[in-house]
Amino acid sequence: MSTLYEELFTAILEGNNEITPRLVQKGLDEGWVPKDILDHGLVVGMNEVGARFKAGDMYVPEVLMSAEAMQAGLKILRPLLVSSGAQLIGKIVLGTVKGDLHDIGKNLVGMMCEGAGFEVIDLGFNVEPERFVEAIKQHQPQIVGMSALLTTTMRAMAHTIKAIEEAGLRDKVKIMVGGASVDAEFSRRIGADGYGSNAPAGVDLAKRFVGAV
Amino acid sequence: MQVKKTNYRVNATPTFEVLSEDEIEAIYYSALRVLYETGLRVYEKEGVEVAYSGGAIVEDTTKDSSLVKIPPWMVDRARATLPRKVVVTGPNRKYCMELYKNQIYFGTGSDTPFTLDPYTGQRRRATYQDVKNLARLAEALPNIDFHMSLGIVQDSAVGTYDRWQYLAMLEGTNKPINITAVDLDGLHDQLEMAYIRLGGKEEWKKGPCFSLYIEPVSPLSHSKEVVQKLLFSADHDIPFVYTPCPLAGATAPTTLAGTAVQALTESLFGIVLSQLRKPGAQLIIGGLMSNMDMLTTVYCYGSPEMALLSAAYTQITKWLEVPEYETGGCSDAKLFDEQAAMEATINLATAALVGGNMIHDVGYIEQGLTSSPDMMVASDEIIDMVKHILGGIPVTDETMALDVIDEIGPGGHYREHDHTTRWKTELWRPKLINRQSWENWELAGSKAYQQRVRERVIEILDADTQPLVDEAMYKELHRICELADARHKDEELDIKMFG
Repeated sequence: MSTLYEELFTAILEGNNEITPRLVQKGLDEGWVPKDILDHGLVVGMNEVGARFKAGDMYVPEVLMSAEAMQAGLKILRPLLVSSGAQLIGKIVLGTVKGDLHDIGKNLVGMMCEGAGFEVIDLGFNVEPERFVEAIKQHQPQIVGMSALLTTTMRAMAHTIKAIEEAGLRDKVKIMVGGASVDAEFSRRIGADGYGSNAPAGVDLAKRFVGAV
Repeated sequence: MQVKKTNYRVNATPTFEVLSEDEIEAIYYSALRVLYETGLRVYEKEGVEVAYSGGAIVEDTTKDSSLVKIPPWMVDRARATLPRKVVVTGPNRKYCMELYKNQIYFGTGSDTPFTLDPYTGQRRRATYQDVKNLARLAEALPNIDFHMSLGIVQDSAVGTYDRWQYLAMLEGTNKPINITAVDLDGLHDQLEMAYIRLGGKEEWKKGPCFSLYIEPVSPLSHSKEVVQKLLFSADHDIPFVYTPCPLAGATAPTTLAGTAVQALTESLFGIVLSQLRKPGAQLIIGGLMSNMDMLTTVYCYGSPEMALLSAAYTQITKWLEVPEYETGGCSDAKLFDEQAAMEATINLATAALVGGNMIHDVGYIEQGLTSSPDMMVASDEIIDMVKHILGGIPVTDETMALDVIDEIGPGGHYREHDHTTRWKTELWRPKLINRQSWENWELAGSKAYQQRVRERVIEILDADTQPLVDEAMYKELHRICELADARHKDEELDIKMFG
């Protein structure tokens, strides 16, 4: 039992997106439960990646390679998880707000959240408040994440929260914000539920929101 | 006088080169390829139309944007009308920047959300008074030639802060200003304010008193407001800085040559579009180019890559024969500490040695999120020292001083000799850097460098200065800001950054 999980752990840490799906398939062929392979193999590996990144022992490109390896393994497990009714740890809708084209930070958050086991719906950039509302209705995420670089587009975050409130959906989601000119104080003022100072902080926040930490 | 030599070349200044001419050309021709084969996305219909009428290929048009590809001959045509020299003056014409080839000017940076309080050192959001104070510092510092806000005014309305910011800068300094604009309306208002400050619209032609900072988004994306500002600037003879800020490893290739190619592609689009709109439109090309830190994901302002890219790109813009925009005097430090001083010194030295026309971002710390008055004042002296090095070593019969050497002879000393009176011009004199002996330094209060810098900041801010804008003019300028606030009232939400 431990050999498969140990091998998966190593494959994730090394960011090996060829061995990881092979190991997942091997596990399934040997009769392991898909949810166990996810939780004890893939997620444990990504949690270690997260811890090492925080400690400054792993770099972002390495973290992203690990996330890719995880995704390669998850691709095989996902249909099986869905049919057995098992959940991924959560669903997040992400977008850069209206008027802003900057999205590299948001993209990093998306990739790292997927690596942590979330399903991520990325609306892209220059996203109007109405589109965020539609996405909440359509996908029913637990979390909505908004990004903005420019101070002038930070207003769009407040407008979006207002639109979500007016649609009667505010209590259905946790809202987190981020971006170079945003800070915790601003997040508080506009009524968001949390702020992440960088992508890893955003992932941690998302995990806390779904009680996965 | 008998001429006794020939074919004798001098170095009036040191020379510094990152790229050879062949390497510059390789990057240029690669950028032409990216423009033609990959193309860029343009999010403004009018911009797409101007490009199309000029011969561009337009494909993949969506609701928001089109993919625009520029064939090489369009770039050649644009370069033929691109001004090699741009002039920006201060509003009372006392200060003037002649931007071409190897002329160097230093200036601050714009729009930091935070600033360090000059008295307490506390990091907080910037206010109108901060922007005014930082402009006053710029006015007082001899090695600052142009000014940018060093703070986003956040105790005013969010959507019109640019007008208030410009007013605060006009109150503080008579030096040329490089402004930012929230949108087209903001640019229009600031132009009106400039006409008032200059004493009439016709005065603008005699010398614009601001340039506009415009920043397309990397990779290869030109947003709606960026294109609108470009077209408006071309139409109204506003010189503008068109600078991408690519991030190697994130929004540009990790390899610095690749970042340079991408950035040049983005810059060339600005050149082509502006010259199509109005042949002779004035641009300043360059940028802030750097790498993403792979541990913390921040945009590095103090890295060696930033210094290297800035220098290399300045060489490219010189080769293109267009005024150059460079970066220096900035850091990733969170306060004005040893890291800040050290990073600023390295990037100021490389920037100055390569010699860009507008070397901007003096006073920036924390990846450009915070401005530091201490950093600004310290950098003024660092620039002074660097400029002394740029003065080189003139080698003449007089400076080689053979007759003096012979006169003083073995074992003699130079201190009383007439020749030593040259010390005033020959030797650099520090003001903030301290060279006292230990005992004298102790007697004078054992002050660390940081403390001496801080005291100088406060000395400048506390000094009595005459208002630069008289009451009547201030009222007119203030009115434009108020009208802007009223027009944009409904876009604001009931949130303030303070209180």
